[in-house]
Amino acid sequence: MAQIDLSRISVREGNELIRKYGEAGENVEVLNPDARHHIGVGLTAPITVKVRGSAGYFCAGLTDGARFEIDNNVGWGLGDNIYKGTVVVGGNAGAIAGVAIRGAEIIVKGNMGSRSGQVMKAGTLLCCGNANFMAGYMMYGGRIIILGDSGERVGEDMSAGDIYVAGKVQSLGSDAQLIDLPGEELDDILAFLDKHKIPFNGTFQKVANAGTKLRYGTAEPQMRSLPFFSFSGKSDYWNSKVQEDIHIKSQIGRYRIRGYGGARPLPHMTDLAFRKPIRPDLADAEIAKKVNLYTEIGGIHGAQPLKLSMPVMVAPMSYGALSASTKRAIGLASTLSGIAENTGEGGMSDAQRNAAKQLIFQCLGGRLGWNIHDMKRADGLEIYISQGAKPGLGGQLMAKKVTPQLAKIRGIPSGIDLRSPSRHPDILGADDLVIKVEEFREATGYKLPVSVKLGAGRVRDDIKIATKDGFDFVELDGMQGSTGAGAAEVLEYVGIPTLAAIIEAIEALEEIHARDKIQLVLMGGLRDGIDAVKAMCLGADAVAFGTATIVAGGCIACMQCHIGQCVTGIATQDPEHEKRYKPDIESRNIHRFFESVRWQMAAITNALGYDDVRKLSRDDLVALTPEAAAITGLPYEPEHRDETDAIAIKAS
Amino acid sequence: MCGIAGIMFKKTGDGRNTSTGQALIDMLDGCQHRGPDSTGFALYGDTHQGHLKLRFFVGSGDEADKAIARIKDVLSANSASIDDEETIGNNYRVVVTFSGDLQKLAYELEHAAKVISIGSSLEIIKDVGTAHDVDHTYHVQNFTGTHGLGHVRLATESDVKPEAAHPFWATGFADIAIVHNGQITNYWKMRRRLEQRGFEFNTDNDSELIAVYLADKLSQGIALEDALKTSIDDLDGTFSFLVSTKDEIGYAKDRLAVKPMVMYETDDMIAIASEEVSLNKLFPGKALNTTEPAPGTYRTWHR
Ligand SMILES: Cc1cc2nc3c(=O)[nH]c(=O)nc-3n(C[C@H](O)[C@H](O)[C@H](O)COP(=O)(O)O)c2cc1C
Repeated sequence: MAQIDLSRISVREGNELIRKYGEAGENVEVLNPDARHHIGVGLTAPITVKVRGSAGYFCAGLTDGARFEIDNNVGWGLGDNIYKGTVVVGGNAGAIAGVAIRGAEIIVKGNMGSRSGQVMKAGTLLCCGNANFMAGYMMYGGRIIILGDSGERVGEDMSAGDIYVAGKVQSLGSDAQLIDLPGEELDDILAFLDKHKIPFNGTFQKVANAGTKLRYGTAEPQMRSLPFFSFSGKSDYWNSKVQEDIHIKSQIGRYRIRGYGGARPLPHMTDLAFRKPIRPDLADAEIAKKVNLYTEIGGIHGAQPLKLSMPVMVAPMSYGALSASTKRAIGLASTLSGIAENTGEGGMSDAQRNAAKQLIFQCLGGRLGWNIHDMKRADGLEIYISQGAKPGLGGQLMAKKVTPQLAKIRGIPSGIDLRSPSRHPDILGADDLVIKVEEFREATGYKLPVSVKLGAGRVRDDIKIATKDGFDFVELDGMQGSTGAGAAEVLEYVGIPTLAAIIEAIEALEEIHARDKIQLVLMGGLRDGIDAVKAMCLGADAVAFGTATIVAGGCIACMQCHIGQCVTGIATQDPEHEKRYKPDIESRNIHRFFESVRWQMAAITNALGYDDVRKLSRDDLVALTPEAAAITGLPYEPEHRDETDAIAIKAS
Repeated sequence: MCGIAGIMFKKTGDGRNTSTGQALIDMLDGCQHRGPDSTGFALYGDTHQGHLKLRFFVGSGDEADKAIARIKDVLSANSASIDDEETIGNNYRVVVTFSGDLQKLAYELEHAAKVISIGSSLEIIKDVGTAHDVDHTYHVQNFTGTHGLGHVRLATESDVKPEAAHPFWATGFADIAIVHNGQITNYWKMRRRLEQRGFEFNTDNDSELIAVYLADKLSQGIALEDALKTSIDDLDGTFSFLVSTKDEIGYAKDRLAVKPMVMYETDDMIAIASEEVSLNKLFPGKALNTTEPAPGTYRTWHR
């Protein structure tokens, strides 16, 4: 057995050695662990790792197939996201032991902290002592066995899975109930205890989901397709949009859910104009070759950057909200245009990976589809904190879209109205976030950029925290940003506009002298290359398109992405509907749209007198409205309005 | 946005091989990843009858001279006689003999300069940088007292300023200090209540509020343990905090247990920190039998 002494080398060096021993099939003993974080993360070889003492946060996290034995205690997040394998802890475990596990057997001989087994999908978590509050919080599957007492609110909002308690059930969580223990399940548990040589005689009470919250009571009826101009409520006071809204609420009796972006007029890029008259009609077809658009994103702290042929990416959009064919088309288009695609929530399929040359893998609070293998084959890792359409809320995927196939990749039961958690189990503040970012870097050998997706709310604080926590770039999303499904009130009224967001972000970075320490990718209601250039002038390092991408690929903007019956085959999981979508054709359409963005960016940059997008600055802009001037601090020069209209026409 | 630590040696002259200052430096070094911007210590030393130790941020050069002159004016107006004084780093430290109304003196001093701490035993040392940086300037390791607190901070406000570092002194009350991880959401409501009763606040920091809240209770003759108990009901938000007085140290943790805390106790000492890795720094290579305080609990230790 090889030995690693953490009093002599860092955890990072230690983990590299553990992975090397793993490849050679040699077992490892870790000496002097002294409760350090991240021991063993990212190991995917079937070896045994013995930790001679206590381990810190995320011990054995993001691993597959190994056996870990920890003599003493472990900190938060034991075995985070493990696929398969065994973990035995001699002492106590901190909060969220077994968080998001997708298999594996975890045995804690002592007590375990609060929220153990949060969002777990499969596998067994055994606690020989007492559990603290909310064991099994939002679990989707697998089983938790507690030989001592359950702690308060056991099984809080669990969707599926089983919890067995031998001691006292202190109190049940919301939507959890006590049910009879089937004899064969008891036999299974006893066999499990026997296998791990845990002496026990007694029996269990079983806690399971009570099924009152898995589905909304009444489904939302399908709306008539309102054309966007009337949908945005621009006509009369009691317009058809208002009426329809009231009708639907009179049937469902709750808030409404819809897809697409905000429809309320807000100060935006259209309220800015270029200071110089722009005549893109004069630009030649070869203009894109004369202006340097090439951009690297994510390499600021030494990771391998994304290499973008222009400062543009595809916004994260989930496989789930979108069909597999749509994800494939977008992936293909991103490759054709030399930009980056993003998985969004819900995992990475082979088809997506193969279609997109550069693919960012997104990690959300429910850890749906998150796993070490796809992390390793990604080109970037992204922690989703929030998005502009619904800052502070989790994703919603209505039952119609939660098909068995989709449920499998996410690791959840099919056919439920899936409300993804709005918070990460292990990110409760900037201090925990540092440890989480480090876990991702450790697990992937510090090669991949790690980014954060932020909906614009408290931008000033959030951007500073993102910088201090060592992210390589931020995907900053204003309140005009779209969603596959969100509560209508939040879509329209929560957050701050994209324009205000980028201004605050830049100011925040200047306040802490950190403009060069992080990159900013701006999104949220950006429609074309003109918006993109304005964003770059205001200080963005790149932009991302969500809605524009799917519209280019055939979306008809009916705003009913959440229903699951998308007539174009884009926002659906129904094979009958999906059949209508032709990824090979649509990928070309999306690609051509990206190329028009390239042309616009190059032509405007050139017309402003530069040969490189990085030379754009806020001095190239003026504000057309008093609001936009107040938000941006740009000079108010409404007389530029005519020119702007002219560009819009010529460029279209 | 931070990491906290506290230690109390229960016996005097127990032949331990580390100073309180050094123990706190080690513990904070262990969790510096939780807060790389600034580091601070609350240290309790020997007391002498009638003596008060005062620490101020005065900056440097001309600015410092002016601040020190203002401080001296207030001291002499309140018949506090200077026994000892020095400037270290950006601090001015002065020991005075004083027997008047401490709260009045404290508020007047606060209007004249940036007070860090006042106490017969307590001294707070805090500045930007790591535990080792702060030790380098202020020689924290030389503090041999019986107990103390420490804090590492990740700043989210505009600037990384020494005066925004923790620990916080309970403004106006001698010898009470606090380190806190979390966020008090009913800050303004609580602060207004205390202000209406005549208390002054030195900063907008929620940790200072907890310190003043507890000090107010103590000055009414309420035991620290009971004050901690009511704090769990009275304060909203997320918190794990440590408090210390001349002869006690205690913790309180909110019911959501959002902010971590681990403790290790022996016959000789009690050490509490955000993470076990800090406790292990005191006992390298040992597997410690630590415990995690339960949500919604509090406890104190007395010397
Ligand atoms: C169908 C759809 C699905 C989305 N899924 C995600 C997601 O999984 N994760 C995420 O961070 N954002 C998601 N978003 C939001 C986009 O990433 C992005 O913030 C937004 O679309 C940007 O605004 P735009 O559409 O105006 O370009 C989704 C948006 C849409 C339209």
